[in-house]
Amino acid sequence: MADNNNNNILTLKGVHFSYNDNREILSDINFYLPKGELLGIIGPNGSGKTTLLNVISGILKPKKGEISLLNQNLNKLPIEQIAKFISVVPQDTWVTFNFKTKEVVFMGRLPYISRLKGETLEDYQISREAMKKTHSLSLSENNIQEISGGERQRVFMAKALAQTPQLLLLDEFTSHLDLNYKYEMLNLLKKALNEEELTIISVFHDLNLASIASDRLLLLNEGKIEKIGTPQEVLTKEIIQKAYGVKPILISHPDLEVPQVIM
Amino acid sequence: MNKPLIENAGYTNWRKKLILMLLVGSLSILGVSLICLNFGVVPIHPKEIFSLLWGNSPDKTNSLIIWQLRAPRIVLGVITGAALSTVGGAFQGILRNPLADPYILGVSAGAALGACIGIALQHVTGYLFASYLPLFAFIGAMLSLYLVYKSSKISYSANSTGLLLAGVAITFLFSALITILLAISGKELQSMVFWLMGDLSAANWKKISIITLPAIIGCLLLFFSSLDLNALSLGEEEAIHLGINTGKLRIRIFLIGSIIIASVVSFTGLIGFVGLVIPHIARLLVGPDHRIMLPASAFLGGIFLILCDVLARTVIAPTEIPIGAITAIVGAPLFIYLLRRKNK
Repeated sequence: MADNNNNNILTLKGVHFSYNDNREILSDINFYLPKGELLGIIGPNGSGKTTLLNVISGILKPKKGEISLLNQNLNKLPIEQIAKFISVVPQDTWVTFNFKTKEVVFMGRLPYISRLKGETLEDYQISREAMKKTHSLSLSENNIQEISGGERQRVFMAKALAQTPQLLLLDEFTSHLDLNYKYEMLNLLKKALNEEELTIISVFHDLNLASIASDRLLLLNEGKIEKIGTPQEVLTKEIIQKAYGVKPILISHPDLEVPQVIM
Repeated sequence: MNKPLIENAGYTNWRKKLILMLLVGSLSILGVSLICLNFGVVPIHPKEIFSLLWGNSPDKTNSLIIWQLRAPRIVLGVITGAALSTVGGAFQGILRNPLADPYILGVSAGAALGACIGIALQHVTGYLFASYLPLFAFIGAMLSLYLVYKSSKISYSANSTGLLLAGVAITFLFSALITILLAISGKELQSMVFWLMGDLSAANWKKISIITLPAIIGCLLLFFSSLDLNALSLGEEEAIHLGINTGKLRIRIFLIGSIIIASVVSFTGLIGFVGLVIPHIARLLVGPDHRIMLPASAFLGGIFLILCDVLARTVIAPTEIPIGAITAIVGAPLFIYLLRRKNK
């Protein structure tokens, strides 16, 4: 996979980011993402994981460097255009007003809906399909403020899929999910990668889950890329100790043969 | 095309919902208006009112009472209630704050200061220009709108907190100036206080003809932002991810809403509570989708305000109670009752 491969959905070149106080949150980020890959972003608290995700989604503009999405300069694309390519499952899933979950999922169709003409039957069908895939169809008549955090995350996942993106960004989406839903969601993502030609970037808090789920891992430390590569390449004793400051014990997952970190 | 197994994939077609709501809303507002025409100091038999409405009654006095006093007051009440509630609902949406009302972004304080300055000038100069008071109020409102807009841009333009803080700051500043005016005023104090509490009694067709167009066009513009307002309730960043320029949206809604409110309150004074509570009642009844909720707020607000106005002018007639007091006395218990019922 060459760096300038046309198969890459996303390329970051020399990206720097800082808020107004000039302390660099991200410095010199370079990587590319081929279509169909699941890239896991890991790193200690405050290492810039969420900031990197926000820079990729276009919410934050880099101070230096260039991001290209499907060979177009991301920061020159209008946001309504970006919304057709990228969708995001956020960490914070609170909704101000008490919409039904099916109405929240339907909001994923907004980038495609004319404000004058309104939605079509197809928009409803895509939303319903997305709810089916995320096992949230049984919640469709419930109010969003009256379901659990884990259920809300599944609903937001459905909303992100209803947006029919090419690149899906996830910010610690498994944080409120029970074990069974965690693995079901992972299977769902794998399925989406294969069947819908989706590409995924996910921030993980849980290194072991990241190791199981990701094709490649990107380890951030103090705003810089410490290491990018396969889980075997990234999750080594030396690298983890450098980034997290603890001495881990590494074992290999008995079935999947990916590294697992135990303390 | 194959018929889908579940009609509309389990969704209700919003157009059907909207049409049903418009139908029910228009009929109720017509019905309530006709009932309200019957209340007043001079008793007029409903039958006579009916024939007066068709223009074939011999009684000139009664015709004058209905057509020049009661009818314009009801129409002004409907427009005012509808405008306050629609803007209140839209402001709650852009600020993601259920406690927002149409006055929270400072436009009312400007209008109030303008009106009080007008009343004070009238007293000092001895000229009677009561009919220009709305102009004073409108200029004041535009001044506060400009100041809020400018100061929100200086602080954090892409943030609802910035707009909210700017509105609150300008409101405090202008309220302080009003307090000073009230403190140094003499005889004109009562007219100032009455203006501040809101009043529909000076309604006439000319005023109605001035505010109708801005109110209707403004509310329609707000209505066409409904889907964006829906998305904003998922959060600022989520709305951007759905392709919505939230900064522009917020400024647009703020400007449109403030101009509607400025033109209405310049004629009616500051009628409180309606714009805060009616959107919530609308949400309880029809759900939070702004495409249905905003028009429903307009109808409910109109109905609520003319009912309150009937109370204001009949409870201790011939003395009138300020309508702003009635809206709160009636609205607060009603609101609490609806909330309790919903939570059961």
